[in-house]
Amino acid sequence: MAWRPALALALGSVAGAAEQNPAVAAANFHRNVKPIFEKYCLDCHGNGVAKGGVTLDEFASDAELVGKRDLWLALLRNVRGGLMPPREEGAEHVKLAEAEIGAITQWIKFDAFKTDPKNPDPGRVTARRLNRVEYRNTIRDLMGIDFNSEVEFPPDDSGHGFDNNGDVLTLSPLLMEKYLAAAETIVEQAVPTVARVIRERSYSGRDFRGEGRSGEQMNARNPAKVSRSFSVEKADKYRVAFDLEVRGSFDFDASRARLTAFIDGEKRFEEDVMWHERKPLRHVFEVEWKAGNHTIAFELTPLPAADGAPKPVPAAEPDRPRGAPTTAVNVRVNTVQVTGPLSPEHWTKPENHARFFPDGDAPADPAARDAYAEKLLRAFAGRAFRRPADETRVQQLAAIARQVYGQPGKTFEEGIGRAMMAVLASPRFLFRVEQPEAKHAGAAVAPIDEYSLAARLSYFLWATMPDAELMRLAERGELRAQLRPQLTRMLADPKAQMFTRQFTGQWLQARDVESVPINARAVLGPNAPRNRDGRIEFDGIFRRLMRSETEMYFEHILKQDRSLLELVDSDYTFLNERLAKHYGVPDVTGDQMRLVKLPAGSVRGGVLTQGAILAVTSNPTRTSPVKRGLFILENILGTPPPPAPPNVPDLEESKEKFKGREPKLSEMLMLHREKPLCRSCHERMDPLGLAMENFNALGGWRDTDAGQPIEPAGRLVTGEAFADIRELKKVIARERAVDVYRCLTEKMLMYALGRGLEYHDVHTVDEIVDRLQQNGGRMSVLLQSVVESVPFQKQRTQSTAGASVSIHSPAR
Amino acid sequence: MKRSPAPASPSDLAAQRFLQMNRRQFLRGLGTCIALPMFGSALRPLAGAATTNPAAGLGVTPTGAPLRMAFVYFPNGAHQDYWWPTGEGADFTFGRTMEPLAPLKGAVQVLGGLDHKNATAGNDGAGDHARANATFLTGMRARKTDSTDIQVGISIDQVVAQKVGHQTRFSSLELSCDAVRKAGRCDSGYSCAYQYNLSWASPSMPMAPEPNPRLVFERLFGAGAPGERQKNFRMRQETQKSLLDFVLDDAKSLQRSLSSHDRDKLDEYLTGLRGIEARIQRAERFGELPDPNADTPTGIPPNYGDHMDIMFDLLAMAFETDSTRVATLLLAHDGSNRAFPQIGIAEGHHYCSHHRNEEALMEKIGQIDLYYMKHFAKFLQKLDAKKDVDGKSILHNSMIVYGCGNSDGNRHTHHNLPIVLAGGGGGTLRTGRFVKANSRPMSDLFLSMADRMGVKQLERFGDSSGVLTAV
Repeated sequence: MAWRPALALALGSVAGAAEQNPAVAAANFHRNVKPIFEKYCLDCHGNGVAKGGVTLDEFASDAELVGKRDLWLALLRNVRGGLMPPREEGAEHVKLAEAEIGAITQWIKFDAFKTDPKNPDPGRVTARRLNRVEYRNTIRDLMGIDFNSEVEFPPDDSGHGFDNNGDVLTLSPLLMEKYLAAAETIVEQAVPTVARVIRERSYSGRDFRGEGRSGEQMNARNPAKVSRSFSVEKADKYRVAFDLEVRGSFDFDASRARLTAFIDGEKRFEEDVMWHERKPLRHVFEVEWKAGNHTIAFELTPLPAADGAPKPVPAAEPDRPRGAPTTAVNVRVNTVQVTGPLSPEHWTKPENHARFFPDGDAPADPAARDAYAEKLLRAFAGRAFRRPADETRVQQLAAIARQVYGQPGKTFEEGIGRAMMAVLASPRFLFRVEQPEAKHAGAAVAPIDEYSLAARLSYFLWATMPDAELMRLAERGELRAQLRPQLTRMLADPKAQMFTRQFTGQWLQARDVESVPINARAVLGPNAPRNRDGRIEFDGIFRRLMRSETEMYFEHILKQDRSLLELVDSDYTFLNERLAKHYGVPDVTGDQMRLVKLPAGSVRGGVLTQGAILAVTSNPTRTSPVKRGLFILENILGTPPPPAPPNVPDLEESKEKFKGREPKLSEMLMLHREKPLCRSCHERMDPLGLAMENFNALGGWRDTDAGQPIEPAGRLVTGEAFADIRELKKVIARERAVDVYRCLTEKMLMYALGRGLEYHDVHTVDEIVDRLQQNGGRMSVLLQSVVESVPFQKQRTQSTAGASVSIHSPAR
Repeated sequence: MKRSPAPASPSDLAAQRFLQMNRRQFLRGLGTCIALPMFGSALRPLAGAATTNPAAGLGVTPTGAPLRMAFVYFPNGAHQDYWWPTGEGADFTFGRTMEPLAPLKGAVQVLGGLDHKNATAGNDGAGDHARANATFLTGMRARKTDSTDIQVGISIDQVVAQKVGHQTRFSSLELSCDAVRKAGRCDSGYSCAYQYNLSWASPSMPMAPEPNPRLVFERLFGAGAPGERQKNFRMRQETQKSLLDFVLDDAKSLQRSLSSHDRDKLDEYLTGLRGIEARIQRAERFGELPDPNADTPTGIPPNYGDHMDIMFDLLAMAFETDSTRVATLLLAHDGSNRAFPQIGIAEGHHYCSHHRNEEALMEKIGQIDLYYMKHFAKFLQKLDAKKDVDGKSILHNSMIVYGCGNSDGNRHTHHNLPIVLAGGGGGTLRTGRFVKANSRPMSDLFLSMADRMGVKQLERFGDSSGVLTAV
């Protein structure tokens, strides 16, 4: 991780301990840590030996010793994860004592990283652009319409596995163009441009019914009468506009018919229709109606054919025998539009008017009108910017609005709409810019102000803007004091489903199950069950069921405040009949996904045995134990191996050993592990992946693969043995619980903060892990700890004093 | 803005020519995946790049016609034995993969011996797919980072676009057939940005490509039904102009209050705004939008082959209407594990590319390479059939690189990259040859292309060693 000198400088004053002389840290190292290294590590990483390129006894200076942050981070992870010292085959596994691990941890955190536990460095969060999902949700809440940003905007990049990472959310010129266009589209769609509209109702051909026919298509050979009734509330003038069409077949057809239209039984027009490829029939009538029911009807009466030869009326179209003539003359009702009441006193407010113009119509008096515009735009910009807009901005917006509604023929509403477009194109809307509490101005580290906190909470838990209650609390400065009740309230809100969806979608990659290319035929074989079209297919419904299972499972743990370890192992999951059949779980019927208690000894329960995860870690035609093993290391145990080295040696030469026989997958992997270059990592990944080999690429159970029995037994690299997936889950949940806590804490913190974690976050993570251990790993404890943590609550402020005055001054 | 009656510039003529195509030709041009009605003969001629005084030699052929440059990327390297032709110079025979190019043999060059050293592991370890993609048009080494401090280099298309782009409505066009992003992490500690973008406006600013054909079409030709687009476009333009002052001022005031890092983010915003401003000014200068009087495509076709075809068609339309002279098209990101059931390949491409010399998998790689090549060849044939203002074909007046930043996908090598340079460069390229460059940086080819585009002042690019004169 690149360290920026400028920031390092700024940080000098962040943590008081930072001033500490490296010599002190070095002395502590020699006293507390070096003896441990000498006892366990230096055989391989010292005295001139540098296994894996790591030495622990050669540092040019005290400053270098202290400055090797990457080394200490890796060492901490390896030692705490039990990966170092390594277990030697056949020898007793040498393990560090708790106290020894503690001494190393202490030194790394407080001497090498100079963490000040009383005032830790909260890190730097780059101003985050709303990602596509956040944008869509925010527009929904702000404007009340659904704008499909997932189609309209290019995909967001992700960093550290999450697409809300501020550093990678770049804003390309193309996207800027799209933001501007979207601002217009959204306002045009959401905000009314007039104060009053004449009500319109529109009926299509399908709305006209009679004797088994509809107005959608009436054949000139068959008599038809179709009608539609509706009621109006006011006695007034109304306008009825008919839009019908004669549609002939491609080839000429001789049939003819008389079309008659009626309003309330009175004949309004009559027309003889004959073959035309396409001929519109449009008529408009004004009617004086009483309140109550009215009926519009059409009648079609066949006439003698144009060529004089009387044509028999053919049987109904669907029964037409093959080869019969396909020509026809059809009459189609496209729309009938009823507009009214037409008198201005009966005009109504357009939909949404009250949402954007809560005080009603604009006053006629110009000054009052301008004041209303300012008031509306001040409130709107405040919501959109997630903090009060400063007065300069409000005046500029009001000027944009005036510029439009001051023109002849333009409405007040159009003017406000135009200013709203400017708000939606503003960087204050598109970016989440955070500010420190004003009263802490000048401090190197300060709590973020409550508006920033409200936005952090809402984008973390809802992936959308803060609601009125969060904004109200922030305005009064009471949000921090009410953090826990607000957290509870927010998690109970249906919007919290976004958290589950976004977090599991990316942490467990569950969203990929909707697109991962898996060839069901290749996985299941030609005798597998077929779908309605007779194809063996991993279809969309099935993929969504799998995604739902994972989401509902996580949601359950969240809502019921269960232990995080149930993510790894439990005796329940969420299924419907189809998914249960696929998994071989009996007695589940119906389409509804629901909580299912698994039979004793079931292999299911826990995310590792869920279809979504098993599929996304597979190749299109077969499983990949390496990908699955890697998945567990990266996302469950939090001890990812380093990436594969370049110049991977050819497995081909070794393959010759099998003398023409196709080696088994496990044998191939075994070869892998014979190569020293591959071994250290594959011995961590492969046993985990092989334990999951009982699940095919679609997550179904199997005892054999290509005729060979599956051999799931193995050992974690830390030594714990397991016979199969059931035991593996138990071993992880029981023996590696702390690893699971730490891994999930790190993932959750990255998602909540929108940044990768750095060395200065180690202590924060440790504190959360401690709290989890003391509280049975409950989900609520994790979420509370994350939102209460220093990185979530605070920020580094800029060290440039000159600029700081203006931002810290209150916005109003 | 007052416009004097401009003399028919080459682009005006191109535009008229575009309208005069007969229906059959046009439909063929667009492929069968979108059925388009014919051009209305009543349409007024279009004004394309109506610069009355085009900057001398910038993005033009020796005859004064527009010169276009495009880069098309296919993923995961190529089956070596099937890719490389036999023979050398003008006397060569295509290998299996390039058979679809046979009818165009005289219009292409196969380039061997071009390398991207900066895509090799160096001290960076694994991540060859991310590097192959990131280095391909930049010639630079991507900094290995997952999020902070993304850095590679400005890409050659953007270097050229920044010089010649003012002459057309769009300074460049970035397209992709990769619509779905994988969740989670990308290649071995490299940010996904490296793997899904070919084009970089600055070392840290990727130009996100557009995968949706409808949106490409609307951007080029306006939204709405044929005939309404000009009006819609004008209205939109007027509205945007009325907003620009506010947002510019807002962004600047916000930027002043930010930390240096966040200021960089706001810079991206401001750059985007300035681009829009420039586009609006250009659009006013160029007058009417070209209106292909065709229905807007509906979205991303479910069949990948159709998706490629339609993106190629849109690219051809953009070139033909002289809407831009610089484009990139990422057919799929390097490392793509797409399956090809339409040609009977159920396994993923990436999976097959690590074939461990197994005959069956290698054969599949050959099939996939051929599949990509067929679609590319179809595109070239369309360009070849379209006449440009100087009576030559659009293909003659283009330089189109088709290639990959990986050569052997099994071993992740980055030397002797699989590269085809199609088109005559306005008669400046010696086509119809298999050129062996003998281990030269790919960047040398870029220098020589930039040179032809009129960007003469470019002395170095990426890891270049000098202009490649052999093409």
